[in-house]
Amino acid sequence: MKILLVEDHPELAKSIASYLTQERYICEVASTFDEAREKLILFTYDCVLLDIMLPDGNGINLLKLLRKDGIESSVIIISAQNALDFKLTGLSEGADDYITKPFPLPELHARIKAIMRRRSPHKNNVLTFLDLTADLESMECRVNGKLLHLTRKETNLLLYFINNKGRMLTRQAIAAHLWGDYTDNLDSVDFVYQHVKNLRKKITDAGGKDYISTVYGLGYKLNAGEE
Amino acid sequence: MKLNYRYTIAYAVITFFVLSIGFAIVYAALSRSVTQTTIGKLRHLNEVVAAQLRSGRDYSRHPSRAHVQVQQVEGLTPANRGDQVQVRDEWDSTLQSMVTAVRLTTYPVVRGQYYIVTSKAVVVEPSDVYLTGLVLVFAWTFVFLLALVVILSEVISWRILKPFNAILRGIQRFQLGQPTTLRLEPSRTAEFNVLSDFLVTMTTRAQSDYQGLKEFSENASHELQTPIASIKAKIELLIDSDLSEKQLLMLTAMHDELERLAKINQSLTLLAKLEHFEMHPATLTDLSTLVSATEAAFADLAEMKGLRTVQHITPGVQVPLDAALAQLLLNNLLSNAIRHNLPNGEVRILLSTSALLIENTGNAPSTPVNELFGRFKKGNAALDSIGIGLAIVKRICELYGHQIEYTYADGWHRMRVVFAPVSA
Repeated sequence: MKILLVEDHPELAKSIASYLTQERYICEVASTFDEAREKLILFTYDCVLLDIMLPDGNGINLLKLLRKDGIESSVIIISAQNALDFKLTGLSEGADDYITKPFPLPELHARIKAIMRRRSPHKNNVLTFLDLTADLESMECRVNGKLLHLTRKETNLLLYFINNKGRMLTRQAIAAHLWGDYTDNLDSVDFVYQHVKNLRKKITDAGGKDYISTVYGLGYKLNAGEE
Repeated sequence: MKLNYRYTIAYAVITFFVLSIGFAIVYAALSRSVTQTTIGKLRHLNEVVAAQLRSGRDYSRHPSRAHVQVQQVEGLTPANRGDQVQVRDEWDSTLQSMVTAVRLTTYPVVRGQYYIVTSKAVVVEPSDVYLTGLVLVFAWTFVFLLALVVILSEVISWRILKPFNAILRGIQRFQLGQPTTLRLEPSRTAEFNVLSDFLVTMTTRAQSDYQGLKEFSENASHELQTPIASIKAKIELLIDSDLSEKQLLMLTAMHDELERLAKINQSLTLLAKLEHFEMHPATLTDLSTLVSATEAAFADLAEMKGLRTVQHITPGVQVPLDAALAQLLLNNLLSNAIRHNLPNGEVRILLSTSALLIENTGNAPSTPVNELFGRFKKGNAALDSIGIGLAIVKRICELYGHQIEYTYADGWHRMRVVFAPVSA
C-alpha cells in the first residue's frame, strides 16, 4: 500500500511517516505543492494524505487538480481547520475523509484502513486477531466462532483494537475514535474505561481470552501477550 | 427632538418677540399720529380764529368758535409766548363718557392786542377701538407665519438634511466585519462633506484594525495546531517504544496536557470563527430529528452515568439555524447536561415549536448562572472541562437571534432556548 503524505511541517511529516512505515505502508513525503504535484503525476498512490496549508499553494487546489486529471487515489485531508469549517464551507468536497490536527496516529491509521476497505469491497471483509474475528459487512464479531453481542460502540472499539493491534491506544485516542465530533467533552475519557470493561467482559464471558491489557491505567493494548 | 423642530420652536419664539415689539411700535405710532393730526387741525383752527380777529368783525356766533375760547390780555408773560398743547382725559358731557381732550393754546397779536386762543378737540384714542383690531392682525400674522415656518422647515430641512440623513443611515447599516468599506454620497454642504470624509476614514481604519486582529487571532490558533499535532505524534510514537512505567506516566501526563491545549485552542478558534460567521437567516434546520439523533448519540454516556432521560419532541420543528451549528449547540448543551449531572440523576429534553428546554439535575452552581456564559467560567472547578462550551452556545444563539436563558432552581438546571420567529 503506497501513501503520499503532503505536509509542510517536517517534524510532523517525519512522525506520521515513521508511524505509517511501522504499520507496513510505503510512505513518501512531499513538503510543497509543486513536489506533491510532480509525484502525483509520476507515480500512483493508493492514498494521499493532504495538508491544506502549504507554503506554495492550497491543498484544496491540489485536490481539484488531482480529480481533474482523473487520478483515482483516495484523499484524506489533514488540516488544522476544525470540523466545523469543513461542514460549513464544504472544504472536504472531493476528498474521501478529513481529519483535524492534532489527531491520534492510530485514528489516522483507522481512517486509512476504512477508506482502503471501501475502495475494494470485495477484498477480505473479515478482520482477524487470533481467535477474534470481525465481519465488516455484517458487523458481527465472533470469538472462537461464537457470536458476541456487542453494541455499536463496542463493535467499533473492537475493530479499532484489531486495526491497531499491538499498539498502545491512549484513552483520548479511543474517545476521539468512538465519539468523534461529539467529544468536545474531555471527561468522555472516563467512559472509555466503561466501554473497554464491558467489551472485555463480553469476550471473556463468551469463552474468549482477554487480549486487551491495561497499560498502567493510561491506555489499552490488544496483544497476544501471555500476561 | 428632531433638528428642524428645534429650529421651528426657536423661530417661533423669535417671531413672537419681534411681532410683540412691532405691535408696540405700531400702537405707539398710531396713537401719536392721531394726536398729532388733531393738533394740526387745531392749529389751523387757531389760525382761522386769529384771522377772524384780525378782520375785526364779530365771529363769535360762527360755528368755528364752538370749541374755541378767545381771551384778550394786557401783556404776555414769558411762559405764555410759545404755543401750548395739553392732552388730558376728562369727562365729556356731550358724549357722556370719558374722552381724551386735546387743547391747543396760541398767543396771536392782532393790531397790538394780545389774545389767548384755546381750541379743544376730542380724540378717540386707539386703545379704545384699534387695540382689538391690531391684536387680531398681529395674532393672525403670527399664526400664518408659524404655519408657514412649520411647513417650510419640513420641506427645507428634508432637502438640506438629505445628505445628513443618508450619512446616518450609512453608519447605522455599517458593520465592522463587513467586507466593503463605508460608502457615503458627496453632498453640496461643506460640513456634511467634512463629516462624511471623517467617518469614511475612521471606519476604514477601524475595519483594517479589526481585520488585522481577526486574522491574527485566527492564524495564531490555527498555526498552533500543527506543532501540537507534531508533538502529540512524537509522544504517541514514544509511548509505543519500550519505556519504564515512570516514563510512560510522564509521557501520558504530557499527552493529556497537550490534548487539553489543543481543545482550548480549537474552541477559541471556533469562537473566533463564530464571531465572524456570516449567517443565512433562510437556512432552516429540522431540530426534531437532530435532537433525537443527538440524544441517541449521547445515550451511552447517559446510561453509564445512570441517568434517566425523558424527552418530549414535537415533530417537524424547523428553526433558523445552520445544521452544523445546530449540531454543535445540541452537543454542548447535552454534554453539559450529562456531565454536570448527579449520579442516577435525570435529563429532560422538551422541544416545542417555540422553544427547546433542556433540564438536568445537578448541584447548585457556585457562581451566578449567567456568568457561566463567559469564557473560561466554570460552575464546577473539579470537572475537567475548559469552560468555553456555553460561550459558544450563546454565540450561536445570538447569531440567529434566539434567546437563551439559564436558570437554576430546586436542584434543576434549566437551559431554555426560545427560538426567534421564522422570518418570511
